[in-house]
Amino acid sequence: MFWLNLAWKSAWSRKYSLGLVAVSVCLSVIVLLAVQQIRTDAKRSFSNALSGVDLVVGPRGSPTDLLLYSVFQLGTPTQNMPYADLQRIKEMPAVAWTIPIQLGDSLDGFPVMGTSVDFFKHYRSSGQALTFQSGEAFQDPQIQPTALMQVVMGSEVAKSKKAKLKDNFALTHGYQAIEETIHSDHPFQLVGILKPTGTPLDRSVLISLEAFESLHVGWGLGLRPSAFDAKPDPQKDLPGLAELTPSELTAVWVGLHSRATVFSARKAIESLKPSASSLPLMAVLPGVALDELWQIVRVVENALIVMGALVAVCSLLGVVSVLLVGLSARRKELAIYRSLGAGPYAIFMAIAWESFLVCSLAIAAGVLGTQLLIVTCQEFLLQNFGIQTHNGWPELEACYSIGLLLVGALLASMLPAWRAYRISLSDGLHPPN
Amino acid sequence: MTIAALELRNIEFAWPNQAKSLFVIPELSLQQGQTLFIGGPSGSGKSSLLSLIAGIQLPRHGSCQVLGISLSQLSASERDRFRGEHLGLIFQQFNLLPFLTVEENIELPSKLFASRFQKSTQIFGSVQKHIDMLCNALHLRPSLRGRQARLLSVGEQQRVAAARALLGCPALIVADEPTSALDEDNKLDFLNLLLSTASAQNTSVVTVSHDMRIASKFDHVFQMPPMETKDVLA
Repeated sequence: MFWLNLAWKSAWSRKYSLGLVAVSVCLSVIVLLAVQQIRTDAKRSFSNALSGVDLVVGPRGSPTDLLLYSVFQLGTPTQNMPYADLQRIKEMPAVAWTIPIQLGDSLDGFPVMGTSVDFFKHYRSSGQALTFQSGEAFQDPQIQPTALMQVVMGSEVAKSKKAKLKDNFALTHGYQAIEETIHSDHPFQLVGILKPTGTPLDRSVLISLEAFESLHVGWGLGLRPSAFDAKPDPQKDLPGLAELTPSELTAVWVGLHSRATVFSARKAIESLKPSASSLPLMAVLPGVALDELWQIVRVVENALIVMGALVAVCSLLGVVSVLLVGLSARRKELAIYRSLGAGPYAIFMAIAWESFLVCSLAIAAGVLGTQLLIVTCQEFLLQNFGIQTHNGWPELEACYSIGLLLVGALLASMLPAWRAYRISLSDGLHPPN
Repeated sequence: MTIAALELRNIEFAWPNQAKSLFVIPELSLQQGQTLFIGGPSGSGKSSLLSLIAGIQLPRHGSCQVLGISLSQLSASERDRFRGEHLGLIFQQFNLLPFLTVEENIELPSKLFASRFQKSTQIFGSVQKHIDMLCNALHLRPSLRGRQARLLSVGEQQRVAAARALLGCPALIVADEPTSALDEDNKLDFLNLLLSTASAQNTSVVTVSHDMRIASKFDHVFQMPPMETKDVLA
């Protein structure tokens, strides 16, 4: 304890040079831990978003693409699946429920998702059913025709639009908001705002499939029909409900009665006979597709982690070299310890403690710094990548890294300690001037 | 019968890897409580002799007994411990740890060795009281005691070093040119304070110096034997 205290005071007297190298250790720790934490959080939020879904069904193609665009709204679908297939899947005995998904429109950059009332019944995020901050789900337009004008917003959307219930909104066709693509002829009324889920749903706008379809009646060229009219007529009657059954869907999420039947259900869905104009279907196990996605990303994240580790090693070496250089100026100090009865071993320990203290403090600062960085970037990560980050104690993986860093710091501390040991043996009481 | 503070016989000292010896001392001894001045020009091996007495180095031949203990029979770590428990060392300058306060510097021996702590406590009631007494005797103002050691003048630093060396009542003070960094007036003042405070504790003092003018203050004077050759200086 005595030597620890002395080592601390000695280090504090050289706080500027040691502080600088400690900052470099701290920064490298931040790089390392931030990459790790974002990776863990990304994986968690991706799998949370699909926690209740057993199969994601879409037109045959790349499973990861289907998952990315239909669940995470990253990228755009190239093919749709026929709406008739939804009915055929629903009728399979193994299938408990289905959620149809139709994408393509947006509200100020937030994706609009056409779906059915089943979405609110069956969707689970992190195992939790959906709940509302205010309002309620839109109604089934087949029962209540005014539901064609109803819209539900995710928590992020509502926050960013400062939306209140009963506010009116015009959606945009596609993702480019220009005058001719705004569905201004079909304003929606906000009926519900969801509680935050930490999934891409927070950034989504939900309307019924029928409403999605009614938006596009007469939109031949991807432009508003009234864009060609001399006089737009907002009082135009709504089309009849029978016309509004969609012909195509982006994807269907499927829940099964029993997870054990997932492979036979997949086989059944994939062997449905395709109609003449469409591709055969594909059913994807979200977990498997996510694993494939992580395989692709792994190269990049490993590269980042290796780089972070290398930077950490370099900055630990920086601490060591500063301490080594400093030792030649501290030969007098070492001679004083010797004169007071300290053996070379005690001096070894004092110097080792000092380096270890500096490194551990820097590592601790790095752990805190990582949390600060994550808090600062929370909004950005959620908005741009749909990653819900979390704060708190380091995860198991981060603990391993911190442990390894501490071991590295301990090993690095041995170098100046060993040098001090040699100096104290050779100098004795008479350091060179 | 009292134990001799110092008893050197037929000492021959040489640096490792050097064939020729640096000096040979047939006999040198000092009774407990007395003071000894060791004089000689630079390079005559005075500092090496101090290293022998402090147990940092061992002689090539001969017996070196300090406080009745033959140092060559102790292991390196036992000699370190012996030095810490029974000796007080004072250098020419840079005696203090600059990042500690004056008081923290003085109490270092009592923190490092329980025996030094106990002696101060037995004789003076507590370490704190011993420090009070030493500071008083060595003319260290109370206002200095909380100050960082690096802010002190050289004279003050030497007196703090003397207080530290005397804390815990070691049997022997070993001082290496303790007055060389001081100006003429301070030299004698410091020496008088050191010697009187040491004799009040019955502590022996061995001082090496090239400055023969202070030799008269000591009970005994020993002159280093002349160098045999010049090349051993290298």
